[in-house]
Amino acid sequence: MGSRVPIETIEEDGEFDWEAAVKEIDLACLKTTNASSSSSSHFTPLANPPITANLTKPPAKRQSTLDKFIGRTEHKPENHQVVSECGVNDNDNSPLVGIDPEAAKTWIYPGFVPLRDYQFAITKTALFSNTLVALPTGLGKTLIAAVVMYNYFRWFPQGKIVFAAPSRPLVMQQIEACHNIVGIPQEWTIDLTGQTCPSKRAFLWKSKRVFFVTPQVLEKDIQSGTCLTNYLVCLVIDEAHRALGNYSYCVVVRELMAVPIQLRILALTATPGSKTQAIQGIIDNLQISTLEYRNESDHDVCPYVHDRKLEVIEVPLGQDADDVSKRLFHVIRPYAVRLKNFGVNLNRDIQTLSPHEVLMARDKFRQAPLPGLPHVNHGDVESCFAALITLYHIRKLLSSHGIRPAYEMLEEKLKEGPFARLMSKNEDIRMTKLLMQQRLSHGAPSPKLSKMLEILVDHFKVKDPKTSRVIIFSNFRGSVRDIMNALSNIGDMVKATEFIGQSSGKTLKGQSQKIQQAVLEKFRAGGFNVIVATSIGEEGLDIMEVDLVICFDANVSPLRMIQRMGRTGRKNNGRVVVLACEGSEKNSYMRKQASGRAIKKHMRNGGTNSFNFHPSPRMIPHVYKPEVQHVEFSIKQFVPRGKKLQEEYATETPAFQKKLTPAETHMLAKYYNNPDEEKLRVSLIAFPHFQTLPSKVHKVMHSRQTGMLIDAMQHLQEPTFSEQSKSFFTEFRAPLGEREELDTGLRVTNDPKDLHSVRDLEVNTSQRKAKQVESPTSTLETTEKDYEESSPTHRYLFSSECASVDTLGNVFVMPVPLLFFPNVLESDNTPLPKTEKQHSCRNTSHIDLVPVDTSEKHRQDNISCKLKERFSPDGASETLETHSLVKRNSTRVGEDDVANSVGEIVLSSDEDDCEGLELSPRLTNFIKSGIVPESPVYDQGEANREEDLEFPQLSSPMRFSNELAGESSFPERKVQHKCNDYNIVSTTTELRTPQKEVGLANGTECLAVSPIPEDWRTPLANLTNTNSSARKDWRVSSGEKLETLRQPRKLKRLRRLGDCSSAVKENYPGITEADHIRSRSRGKKHIRVKWKSAESWFTLSSVAFALVTKKKKMIMDDDVQVFIDEEAEVSSGAEMSADENEDVTGDSFEDSFIDDGTMPTANTQAESGKVDMMAVYRYIQPKISFFYCEVNELIKNHKVSFHRRSLLSQSPLPARFRDLAASSLSPYSAGPLTRINESRSDSDKSLSSLRTPKTTNSESNQDAMMIGNLSVVQISSDSRKRKFSLCNSANAPVINLESKFAAHAQATEKESHEGVRSNAGALEYNDDDDDAFFATLDFDAMEAQATLLLSKQRSEAKEKEDATVIPNPGMQRSDGMEKDAPSFDLGLW
Amino acid sequence: MDANNTFDSDLIHAIFKHIWARRFRERERSDAIDATEAEVALGTTKKNRLASANANALKLSCELLKSFVSEAVQRAAIIAEAEGMEKIEATHLERILPQLLLDF
Repeated sequence: MGSRVPIETIEEDGEFDWEAAVKEIDLACLKTTNASSSSSSHFTPLANPPITANLTKPPAKRQSTLDKFIGRTEHKPENHQVVSECGVNDNDNSPLVGIDPEAAKTWIYPGFVPLRDYQFAITKTALFSNTLVALPTGLGKTLIAAVVMYNYFRWFPQGKIVFAAPSRPLVMQQIEACHNIVGIPQEWTIDLTGQTCPSKRAFLWKSKRVFFVTPQVLEKDIQSGTCLTNYLVCLVIDEAHRALGNYSYCVVVRELMAVPIQLRILALTATPGSKTQAIQGIIDNLQISTLEYRNESDHDVCPYVHDRKLEVIEVPLGQDADDVSKRLFHVIRPYAVRLKNFGVNLNRDIQTLSPHEVLMARDKFRQAPLPGLPHVNHGDVESCFAALITLYHIRKLLSSHGIRPAYEMLEEKLKEGPFARLMSKNEDIRMTKLLMQQRLSHGAPSPKLSKMLEILVDHFKVKDPKTSRVIIFSNFRGSVRDIMNALSNIGDMVKATEFIGQSSGKTLKGQSQKIQQAVLEKFRAGGFNVIVATSIGEEGLDIMEVDLVICFDANVSPLRMIQRMGRTGRKNNGRVVVLACEGSEKNSYMRKQASGRAIKKHMRNGGTNSFNFHPSPRMIPHVYKPEVQHVEFSIKQFVPRGKKLQEEYATETPAFQKKLTPAETHMLAKYYNNPDEEKLRVSLIAFPHFQTLPSKVHKVMHSRQTGMLIDAMQHLQEPTFSEQSKSFFTEFRAPLGEREELDTGLRVTNDPKDLHSVRDLEVNTSQRKAKQVESPTSTLETTEKDYEESSPTHRYLFSSECASVDTLGNVFVMPVPLLFFPNVLESDNTPLPKTEKQHSCRNTSHIDLVPVDTSEKHRQDNISCKLKERFSPDGASETLETHSLVKRNSTRVGEDDVANSVGEIVLSSDEDDCEGLELSPRLTNFIKSGIVPESPVYDQGEANREEDLEFPQLSSPMRFSNELAGESSFPERKVQHKCNDYNIVSTTTELRTPQKEVGLANGTECLAVSPIPEDWRTPLANLTNTNSSARKDWRVSSGEKLETLRQPRKLKRLRRLGDCSSAVKENYPGITEADHIRSRSRGKKHIRVKWKSAESWFTLSSVAFALVTKKKKMIMDDDVQVFIDEEAEVSSGAEMSADENEDVTGDSFEDSFIDDGTMPTANTQAESGKVDMMAVYRYIQPKISFFYCEVNELIKNHKVSFHRRSLLSQSPLPARFRDLAASSLSPYSAGPLTRINESRSDSDKSLSSLRTPKTTNSESNQDAMMIGNLSVVQISSDSRKRKFSLCNSANAPVINLESKFAAHAQATEKESHEGVRSNAGALEYNDDDDDAFFATLDFDAMEAQATLLLSKQRSEAKEKEDATVIPNPGMQRSDGMEKDAPSFDLGLW
Repeated sequence: MDANNTFDSDLIHAIFKHIWARRFRERERSDAIDATEAEVALGTTKKNRLASANANALKLSCELLKSFVSEAVQRAAIIAEAEGMEKIEATHLERILPQLLLDF
């Protein structure tokens, strides 16, 4: 109350007389001290200017109102009252904020902006009292705020200043604006919005001094205490007209006042309110002591106000809308009449009623129901009111926005709710709706819309569409859309966008703040020149200066109208067009404008006559008489916070670089920081060849995807190879097809068919093979010839094949072929059929070995020490790339199969022709045709050739095993690479076992006639046996289908073997001699050669063997080597290691088996091929030694060793076996994953087999040994099968294996018997045998067995094994192995 | 795996955060571009928050990364060894990389 007068005077003065003011203040203070004791302290500071505000502030506070009396001493009494009122708190506050006395001597006003008197005056006021600044938009409220803030920033070095703006965009806008005006250092400013997390805000509240916040954040932080309210010195409130009710502004100020603290409050608004109550509310809520109001007409303002033309354009309602309106009126009238009948006083013409007026009437009715009206009718009245309100609202929409929004409103209302119930029967409303629908369907444009378009077009004719900007305001989003649609039709010069709020309605999606910002950004940049906005565009957001504002609806409050108009005329002349529909809208607009004008009168002269103000602290003690100082700020470029952060990131050097050595940094730069992308990027496609084979893994196994990649790469690589290679590929594919066929069971019985298919695949040899198949015996020679003929090509193929095979390692490929050629030639040259057979065997073995081809490369490398090296390389290769081998195996499996089939054919033919066959060509052919991958085998074969027949024999089993393994492994491979690996391993193990057998056979052979040939033959028999067992095993392992399919082959193989054996046996007298001769001649050479290698190996491996047995050993070694080679090829590394272990331990069989089992692990683990070779040798040696021992008791050493071994094996076996069995059970399930487990299982199996041999041994050593070997083989095969079964699905295979074993054993026995009995017609017998084998093999039974449980299977398998073991001896005996053995022994010795 | 034999989870976290921050910035930039082009269109309110990982996820990530790195090194070492090199070069890594990536 008391401050009114001072304010007036101030305003009148315009300029402060600081000198006078201070004097007066001092006087006033003196007086007040007299009046109130508390003020005495205030003056001590005067004498001694206090540095802290502690002392000075109380006076300041007192002078909250005193500042108004600057220059007005006569009001002091009033002031005293105020002071006493406020002074209560004086000493309670211990302000923490010190004042800077130097800074307090002046206050800064920016000098670079043209001085505006009103701004300067308002600022001066605002510095010393809580002020509400009401300035029209665009007159620089922000400058006032910024100057005040800056001065408080200077005066109170620890003080904190808060600028609150109601929305985030406004906050961002104001922080920049303030910066650009006074240049408060950015390191002290921060914007705090809801996006900043509270904990961070708490930190920022401490570290920063100037805060630009949203009121909500401020409220929360004050309530949570994170805002250091004690340090606040200045609070600026933007858009202060919002400070009503419980808005955050009010809460904040209340909280601050309750603390209590002293601070300067500066409130800014363009539209304080349209009613005096509202304005008074703001003043109360914000503790305002001064109202600074200016409007455009004020003398100090008007120079800065641009000409703003306000046009109110009256728009006719339009015919359509008029019709609808009339219809609506029809609807309205009955309700209005009813209301009137009830006695409700609708005090106007119902034509011009507005919904608001109806609302008011309803409120009135509710407050004071009509006296005469029965209570029952109240409901009727209410419903009438409700209907009227809705209808009038629709009518209003119709008039101000057109038919469409009205129609939509009506439709929505009619859908549900009381209005719908009320109107559901109303014919008029239905008609109205129909009419509106019709009008809309005709696209009737609203007259407002067309008028607006007209205005727009005119505007852009005058103004450049590129620089001119237009805002169109509409109250409803629905009409925003209508406007947008209309604007889209008027051409290019109008680029319009909508600008709406965030909330998403049912029909229209809102715009996020980000999009809003983007829209504004583009609007500023010129991407749009028209914005169609709802009320969101009215206020605050710094929409750029526009030339034209179109108010689509006039029916808004004057406050909002001012805001709308504030969008233009800021810096240039602007134009405001208000589109008002004639009639009610126009009238209401005029009414509102009138009331707005009335308010202005209240605020004129500071509103001192109309409003009550509140005291406020001066903040600056009166001792300081700040003088204005016009300063030119040097303001740094404002850096938006976001960008600032980004730059920080960008310039931030990675911390890790500091820790790196220059070399490392350089390396890093080489790969990562290279400006040109081309440089040294790790390539995924650099080594496609390496992707055709699985890379060796460390711990992480290959995934299925990897397998797919490898397969794909292999397919991709194939075409690039030569035609020969293509043939290989085709061969590869062929096996697949065969397999499939096998799966289908088409070829189950007919090997020839399979062969044919394979042959078909094999370009060159297909015909030959077919011929062979058709008449294996008769056309053997021809086929042989063909083979011979083809051999050269094959050689080429080999070379190419080798290369292709070597895809893994290019280096390997080349040398092999060369070696092969001579070998092949040699083999071809061998006149003897036996040798041929052997060759064939070799070839087959080679083929089998093919999978091992990787080792071939190694072999080539190692060429110098062929066998050893080869072996070692093989082993190394295997070890290095078991995966690759596996893959090769898989790829080769098909080949192998083909080769096997070929080999089988050959074998059969060989067997048939056993007497004088040219197996070598066949072999070569085979190799050439389908066994291309086998080319590496050729190398081996060469070596083997040197070694003589033994190799082939060995190889043949190898082949079988390989084939079997391949077949068996195939599905597994497909299913799981891991499984494949395992399978391969198993196959290798299997191969090993056959090899062992072969070796045994070889040994026996060697013992018999000339060691090699005889051995061969015997081996063949053995092989047959072994093969049979192996086949059985294979069949079992491969699974029923595979088994069935394979079985024929196996049978054939078996037959062949059997045939061979039988033939050999039959031929023995003559053939053996010839063989002996051959073997002697060749064998010597070979043996010698082998010997060397063997010797070296022996030296390595055979420590136990005495010098005396060296020769025998040598022979054995040769055989062994061959076997070993084969084995090595098949599963070189692992077996080798295993063998070695066995040898070392002396538990040769067990160990070997175990080793076989462990082979996979060994392969993976054993990196040194040599070791593997050694192991293989050892492996073979023990086997051989076993055979020898068994067969040749003469060789005591051998026997001893064998015995030892056998003993060792026997004794250890059970325990191991048990252990293994125990462990194996679990492993089986997990078999695929853990190779070791598999190996264990294998070993277990081997152990079991060993056991059987042991038993047999006890009975009859040799026989037992043989049987044992066979059984071992079988067992191994069983184990393989088991593995396979495990991999695939398990139990069944095992059973099958068992059954097969039994059947095989029987069949083999029969065959052997037959073969032995009937020397002549061996071929036929063989065939018969094969058939018999097939017949014997009850697939159904097998399957049925397969269904048995694993445990049962195991037990059964054991039993069966035992059983098989038992029969085997008989078989072997019948086969004449024993017989052979002695003969061999004789021959050897 | 034992805690000693794996990566420091703080380090991994720092790396993750580095990557996330970079991603975040890239996304913001593209968002800004999008927004300016968004014009009238739909407001896509993307969560502009940095990704985060809890402790267990971090541990697991460390383990995965460790096994990945060690596997890569081991495989490359095998190749290098096969070539008789004593030093793993980038080319060795390239050879095993495709399969390695597919294995993980």
